[in-house]
Amino acid sequence: MLSFRVDGHSVVPPYLQIVQQVRQALRMGVLKLGDQLPTVREVVSETAINPNTVLKAYRDLEREGLVEARAGHGTFVRGLPPGPPPGTHSRLGRSLATWVREARAAGLDDESMEALLHTTMRATAEEEEIA
Amino acid sequence: MTWLVWRQHRIQYILGAALLAAFAVVIVIAGDQVAAQFHHAATTCAAGHGCEQLGGLFMGNKVVGFLVIATLGAPLIVGLFWGAPLVAAEVEAGTTQFAWMQSVTRKRWLTVKIGWMMLAATIWGAVISILVSWWSSPTNAEQLNQFDPGRFDLVGLVPVAYSLFAMALGIVSGALLRRTLPALAVTLAGFVGVRALVTLLLRPHYMSAVTTYYNVTRGFNPAGAFWSLSQGVLGPNGQPIAQINNVPYFDGIPQTTLPASCASAANGNGNPSGACVQALSHYRAFITYQPANRFWAFQGIEFGIFVVLAAALIAVTAAVLLRRDA
Amino acid sequence: MTPAITTTGLTKCYGKTAALNDCTITVPEGRISALIGPNGAGKTTLLKLLAGLSKPTAGQVTVNGSVPRQDPAFLAEIGYLAQEIPLYRRLSAEDHIRAGAHLNPRWDSASVRERLAALNIPLDRPVGKLSGGQRAQVALSLILGKRPRLLLLDEPVAALDPLARRNFLGTLTDGVAVGGLTVMLSSHLVTDMERVCDHIVMLSSSRVQLCGDIDDVLAEHKLLVGPRKDTTAIERDHYVVQVTRTPRQTTMLVRLNGPVHDPAFQVSDVSLEDIVLAYMGEDAPPARAAFTSVGDDQQ
Repeated sequence: MLSFRVDGHSVVPPYLQIVQQVRQALRMGVLKLGDQLPTVREVVSETAINPNTVLKAYRDLEREGLVEARAGHGTFVRGLPPGPPPGTHSRLGRSLATWVREARAAGLDDESMEALLHTTMRATAEEEEIA
Repeated sequence: MTWLVWRQHRIQYILGAALLAAFAVVIVIAGDQVAAQFHHAATTCAAGHGCEQLGGLFMGNKVVGFLVIATLGAPLIVGLFWGAPLVAAEVEAGTTQFAWMQSVTRKRWLTVKIGWMMLAATIWGAVISILVSWWSSPTNAEQLNQFDPGRFDLVGLVPVAYSLFAMALGIVSGALLRRTLPALAVTLAGFVGVRALVTLLLRPHYMSAVTTYYNVTRGFNPAGAFWSLSQGVLGPNGQPIAQINNVPYFDGIPQTTLPASCASAANGNGNPSGACVQALSHYRAFITYQPANRFWAFQGIEFGIFVVLAAALIAVTAAVLLRRDA
Repeated sequence: MTPAITTTGLTKCYGKTAALNDCTITVPEGRISALIGPNGAGKTTLLKLLAGLSKPTAGQVTVNGSVPRQDPAFLAEIGYLAQEIPLYRRLSAEDHIRAGAHLNPRWDSASVRERLAALNIPLDRPVGKLSGGQRAQVALSLILGKRPRLLLLDEPVAALDPLARRNFLGTLTDGVAVGGLTVMLSSHLVTDMERVCDHIVMLSSSRVQLCGDIDDVLAEHKLLVGPRKDTTAIERDHYVVQVTRTPRQTTMLVRLNGPVHDPAFQVSDVSLEDIVLAYMGEDAPPARAAFTSVGDDQQ
């Protein structure tokens, strides 16, 4: 069952956090085609956010074609976000975990790891542009 | 709403019933004692062994004294412990905000609460009256003044009216002052003050007193347990005679104002002489009193006074509470 | 759709002091509205006027389509929770549930018991012996059991620890998710409210400073940062809430009336908390009447 976390202090508005977490769950394969999303009441009980926020998020997802609302039954997954097939994320996540463990063992702290990641992302993007 | 009143005041009702029961037990025990003493004294008197015991039997009797005081104070108890906190405690605790936001109107809330409380006061007063009437029946046979507070206030209709008044006084104090302790003080002072006022200043005048003039030599006693308001002797000029201290009196008149011929009769030697009787005929004794047979009329009037007072206080409570901002 | 709450020029005076002055607001149905303001701003006064617990000195107020009054039909549709959480301390939660059944025409005992059971709150203990957070939950569940259309809550979470606060707001939002409920709750903590509320009414010095959907308020208020220069044009076009000038820089929090034409100024978003603080600030302009948000016209 999908569990949401809403960070009240984030710059990202709550409804967008919900949308992003649903998309991420679809990418990771936690949510599959045909699965039912948590009901508004379930989300609200867990996160204590405004029910309209959840409705807004689900409407946005519906507009994107990812979910559809069936009156009286709930909201169900209808499509997957563009990108690599589910499983890719988990696979890559696992190899990332290996790297992180290695980096920590080598003595890098979180800040250094993030800096390294950003630098590498920028460098490879520049490479792809040149290529 | 009735359910809530009972559930909320459950402990108070139980305590009240327990107090009444305890009071009843004491009365029954004391009453038996009193009745036994009375019968003993009555038989002694009938058998010719002297009736002084009968007359003074209950003067200075400590148990009787305690019961009288307890009974006089009993109506006040409902006012202090049930009436004063009724509204005040709820305002202090803020629970009026709970009650007034349920779907019952303030009017209904007040009506049901006050209704049950006044019923409780009525029962309290009635039980006391019945119990005390029962134990005091022997003492009534003494034919003493039955309008006296030690008797009048304890029996008949008035204990019910006093209880209703005390309850209403407690409720209105609590509603106006919004705090229990000041309400208790006001209820106590108000009850004692009004009762004293009515008893001392109003009661003698419920009905016009009867004045009877009679011959000083014959004497006169109104029938039954009457209430003497004033008595004296009118002189030959039709005015009450002057009271002179430290001189002997004969038939209610200072001997110094009577002719010498009365002296021997005054000392107990035979009947008054003709000249004395002639002199005495110019005097008239009088007694102003409330006849014994007006007892129930007076009970009814005093009952009415206190019930009307209670109703007025309840009306004030309603007017204040229904209009006030919560 | 009739709004849940409408007031026009609502004023309440106690003696010579105006606790609430010329207050005009609209709260559409289904909103969870945050009543924000410093202590003494008039929040409790407004809530009591809405609940019918006190009467206005001037102005009109309409709640659920009618004027608040002592009438069982009106009382059945609203729930009011005072700050002190008034419950009968010697009675248990179960007693309160039974009282509710006797005193209200529409009463859902099962849902109250269910909610309290889910929170592990004992039903048979005198409520005076429960913790503050538990008492608040009992009071809220009881009010929800009444099935009202409007809830008015006066600083319900002020005295609660963070966990109790989260649980309380969870119960509240769940009650709204069930449907058919509008809520107004007062607080002086903005961050809590932002999570739960989608509408805001802001009071300061007994007057309304802001009233509208939070999304609209956020969209309309921007922070303008630019060099120290003449800002008359901006002040003419838009409503300036707060201005800070240093020798080099001008910072303005404005309520936009259209786009900003001056390229020297950088326009950025502002948090709700900063907007509220700006309106409450000492150099804030005096409130203007009927200060409602654009979005409300569409209701």
